[in-house]
Amino acid sequence: MKFSFRGKRISGLLVVVPANERSFLEDMKGFKVPEARSLKLKEVMGFDKRRVALPGVCVSDLAICGMQHLFKQGWLKSDEVDALLVFTQTPDYFMPSTSNIIHGRLGLKQDVLCLDSSQACAGFVIGLMHGFMLLEQESIKKVVLINGDVLSRKASPKDRSIYPLVGDAAAITILERDDQDSVIHAIAKTDGSRSEAFMIPAGGFRLPSTPETAVLENVGDNNFRAKDHVFMDGSAIFNFVQTEVPPLIQGLLAWTGDSIDSVDYFLCHQPNRFMLEKLADKMNVPYAKMPNNVVEHFGNNGSATIPTLMAFNLQKRLLQESLRVCFAGFGGGLAWAAMLLNLGRLNFNALIEYQ
Amino acid sequence: MDKLEFYQRLAAILDIEEVKQDDTLTEFEQWDSLAILSVLAMADAKYGVTIKAHEIRSVVTAAELANLVETKKNQNAPGLVPT
Repeated sequence: MKFSFRGKRISGLLVVVPANERSFLEDMKGFKVPEARSLKLKEVMGFDKRRVALPGVCVSDLAICGMQHLFKQGWLKSDEVDALLVFTQTPDYFMPSTSNIIHGRLGLKQDVLCLDSSQACAGFVIGLMHGFMLLEQESIKKVVLINGDVLSRKASPKDRSIYPLVGDAAAITILERDDQDSVIHAIAKTDGSRSEAFMIPAGGFRLPSTPETAVLENVGDNNFRAKDHVFMDGSAIFNFVQTEVPPLIQGLLAWTGDSIDSVDYFLCHQPNRFMLEKLADKMNVPYAKMPNNVVEHFGNNGSATIPTLMAFNLQKRLLQESLRVCFAGFGGGLAWAAMLLNLGRLNFNALIEYQ
Repeated sequence: MDKLEFYQRLAAILDIEEVKQDDTLTEFEQWDSLAILSVLAMADAKYGVTIKAHEIRSVVTAAELANLVETKKNQNAPGLVPT
């Protein structure tokens, strides 16, 4: 489905990662995996360091830390927040919504729209689409989009297929109107028939958490997880990405009349280095145009991976110049979405640690 | 499909000199989830076919894996040429 937005821009970006860092090689020792195997995985998949929230830390804690930093730096005034969107799959509570929790703890004005949405790794692009739509309203001048998850808290420490890869983070993106008459294009797609490829089976109303759903089960390859834990069918996700993402991006380029040459960066969701290299190969995009180093420094932090790419790799460039950028998010849902825009001359672009 | 070339690609994934058609995949020390993912990627990139992990796990020998890829390749509509 095609979307276009006129006269809107991303004006600033702040990523908050937990200070707590874990090492892939150390984690793999806990699984009694031979070191040669771990080194091979590190080399091919890029698994190395990741940032993980300490027990008890919630998305709202990371987000509030970031919002207070914005206020303190003078990058955002509290009465400028006209809409607060929180895109997370690991909310503080079922009710109320995490955006309302953040609103209350920050003491924001009452003239504001707070909205949560449950989106996985396509959540940054889908969140931007929502934010740009809200900016059509005269009363909404600034939208604060928060993409955050603490998915590590739902990963089984005895499941090698996911535990050593997951990172936590919250990204805050500020959206506002642009006096340039620029156009932003996006395409979003969904296939709910494959929703079981990436899910947390228990804990909702369909299968409430009970002592039984907390029992670790042997799921093969000496991995153990409970129904309360997150499950990912890695090979199904790999096939999904290789099959669906290239035509998504190619369709977007064809629509706007862009080419791989005319785009400065393809900033994609960061599942691992291997998958991104295969994606770049399939699309004939040079690796330098499709950076893949978020996983090795931070882990896969869900819908915050694209902001993390921007804050970590393009910190200065996005303050100083304007680049032609294609975002592509893909994952649980299944959902996949891409956006093409002129990005840059940001008011701020930073990455901070949550202590 | 050039089977010899397929075995060479499989050998490269397993980081060994040679793979023969009768070799049992699970007997290779390096035959693990990463190898399976690499086979999925190779089948997609070189033969334009999508194989599922459980399909790979259901075959025993290198020849059966080659046949799986070839069968899928022949099922593909014309135009979906390998890259």
